[in-house]
This record gives sequence, structure tokens and C-alpha cells, in this order.
Amino acid sequence: MEDTGYLLGRVALGDLKAFAALYRATSPKLFSIVLRILRNRTEAEEALQEVYVKIWQRAARYAPEQGQGATWLAAIARNQAIDIMRARRPEPVLLDDTFDLAAEGPDPEESAILVDEGSRIDRCMQSLESDRAEAVRRAYVEGLSYQELAEYYSVPLNTMRTWLRRSLLKLRECLGS
Amino acid sequence: MSEEPENTDRSRDEIISGEYVLGVLSAEDRRKVEARIAVDRRFARQVARWQANLSRFNDDYEDSIPMPGLYAGIERRLFLGHEVAQPGLWERLWGSVAVWRGLTIASVCIAAGFMLFSSLSDLVGGPGSGRLVAELSGQDNGVNLVATYDIASGRLDIIPAALGQDQPKSLEVWLIGKDSAPESIGILPANGNGTIEIPPEMRFRFAENKTIAITVEAFGGSPDGKPHGPIISQGAIRLL
Repeated sequence: MEDTGYLLGRVALGDLKAFAALYRATSPKLFSIVLRILRNRTEAEEALQEVYVKIWQRAARYAPEQGQGATWLAAIARNQAIDIMRARRPEPVLLDDTFDLAAEGPDPEESAILVDEGSRIDRCMQSLESDRAEAVRRAYVEGLSYQELAEYYSVPLNTMRTWLRRSLLKLRECLGS
Repeated sequence: MSEEPENTDRSRDEIISGEYVLGVLSAEDRRKVEARIAVDRRFARQVARWQANLSRFNDDYEDSIPMPGLYAGIERRLFLGHEVAQPGLWERLWGSVAVWRGLTIASVCIAAGFMLFSSLSDLVGGPGSGRLVAELSGQDNGVNLVATYDIASGRLDIIPAALGQDQPKSLEVWLIGKDSAPESIGILPANGNGTIEIPPEMRFRFAENKTIAITVEAFGGSPDGKPHGPIISQGAIRLL
């Protein structure tokens, strides 16, 4: 089976055969993602079509130094499904206008190549309390909003925000730069 | 390079980029983050780093096979420019019988008392091949019929050229007399592959004041022997 990154490169050049091959190789995973998050087969089929349209349109934007092709594809699928879920149900807005200003300071790590640090996340998740780690993983895999997570765990919204934010900081510290 | 805990902007950005990748932010906040990703490279790298770091969670998604016709839908969107979801082809057929009234054949030639439907790949007629080809199409309903008449054999092939695979259906062929109810001659699978052989007792009824009609029915044909689906083609019988 050809490498996803190679196929994406061909797709960026408009190679429809490569696109079909990419679909065959990757659609089971991406369908699983949208199906899990949307929890509705018809909507998931619709979403999957949109995902592959985006893949076709954005293939040229895939940069191998930013990570593996499979991760890039999964992110498109997750974002598509999550956007659909968020559109269904209004959620409280957290970010204020000052967020739009880009942070000052030097631009570090220009040449650092990102690798998917699979095993490191497992170890770092263990540094969290088990219910926090479970909340982090559930948030990601199920594509839940802060509101939905708070409801699931029967805690106030602000408590869930605190849980996740502290967890993210701990994970970042453990994972390093 | 290690984190500087005193840099609250940096920590705040780490949290926001992490929240974005986790997927917990509201729609409006997601748009704000995406707008920032487009212009702030350092922030974009933070997001990419979270995506890489958390990619192991993707293992929790177990493969699930999408329906076979889905890829065709993707190609339709890409190359027909449909940006929004289209209802399935069959849904549109069911919902617009009136559209089909525009789809008629002036006459259907029947030779030797039987009709043959062949697959699309057999359609390679060209100049000198002794075949006549007619394309029949309704307005903007996405289904075209291609009729090919082979002069030597007297064989008429009618095939649907663009039937979707959204749901299995059958094409049912009816013989309609002037004053009698439609009688089913037989059914074909929706991909156009198949042959109808007219039962001997019916052949003598293929007379010139009768009409042939093709309707779209549930898979396997109409359950009660009466046409229910939209008529996709009809024409008077003219014997050669």
C-alpha cells in the first residue's frame, strides 16, 4: 500500500487515480471518525463526502514536516464532524476580542520537524489523575463540547474548563516542546 | 526548548490551541482560532504540535466501511461543482414524477418479441458499426437513457446511463393496452444488466396499439403487480 504522504502529493497534482487509492486506503478510518462524532450514519456519509472534497482541495497544503499524512487526514475529518456538531447547538463563547491579536515575540522552532509522539502521550496521560485523563480522551475521541462534557460528568461548566485546562498544561509540560 | 511558565500569553495560547484540537470550543471560538492559524505561524505550529501529540488517540477509532456508492458522490461533487449535499438520485426520482413526463420515446421498436438490455460497456457504436444510438434525457433530473439499435440483429438496447447506486431498485417493464390495466412483462436490475424474455403466452399481445412503459419500482419489482414508481420511459409499439 502506498504511503499516504506520497498519495497526497499526487493528489495535489490532480491525480485522480491517486485520490481513489487514497480513498480506498483511508476512508474506513475517516468514516469511523465522523461516524463516532456525529452518531448518525446518514450525516456521517454526507460529512465523509465533504471531507474528501476538502482533501482534494487542500492536498497541496499538506506539509510532511508538520506531521504524518494520516494525522493530517484525521484532523480534517474530526474538524468537519465537530463543526457540524457545534453548529447544531449553541455553546458559550469563551474567547474575547484580545485573542485575535497575534502574540508578540520571536518565532521559534522554525526548522524543527514535528513527529507524532505516540508513545509519549501515553506516558504523559498517566501523569494525570485517571478521571481527568478520561475526560481529555473522551473530549477528543467523541468530539464533545465543554458543555456536553460538563453534562456527561455532571459537573459545572467552569469546573470542566478548569479540569481540561490544567490537564492540557500538564500534558504540554510533560510532552515538552 | 522548555516552557517558560511565567509567559502567560504563551501558556494561554497552549491552552487555546489544545482546546481547539480537543474539539471542546464553541463554533464561534473555533472560527477565531482558525482565523488566527491563518495569520500567526507560531500559533499554527502550536496547533500542529497538539495534533501530532494527540494523534495516538485516533487509534480509538476502529475502521468502518462506508457504503459503496459514496465515492461516486464525492466525484460528483468535485467535478459537477455541487457544493451542497444533493438528495440521492432515487429520492429525487420518487419525488418528481412530473419531471419524467418529459422523458418519452417516440416509439419503441421491438424485434422478434423480446427486448435486450445490455451493459454500458457494450456501447461502443461508431460510424459504420451498423448501430443507431439515441440519447434520451429528462430535464436536469440526472438520468439519461441511451438507446442503441443494432440494425443487423434488430436488437434494441436501452440502458440507464447515470443511475445512482443510492438504493437498489428495479426497472419494471409494463405492457399497457388501450383499455386494460398495465401488465408486468418483467424486471431488470437498476444497473441495466439483464435480459427480458417475454413469456410465450404474452408474445402475441405485442400488438401495435399497445404501449410499453418502464417504471422504477422497489427492488424485485412491484409487490402487487401494479406500477407504483415514476415512469421513466414509455412509447408505442411499432413492429418492424
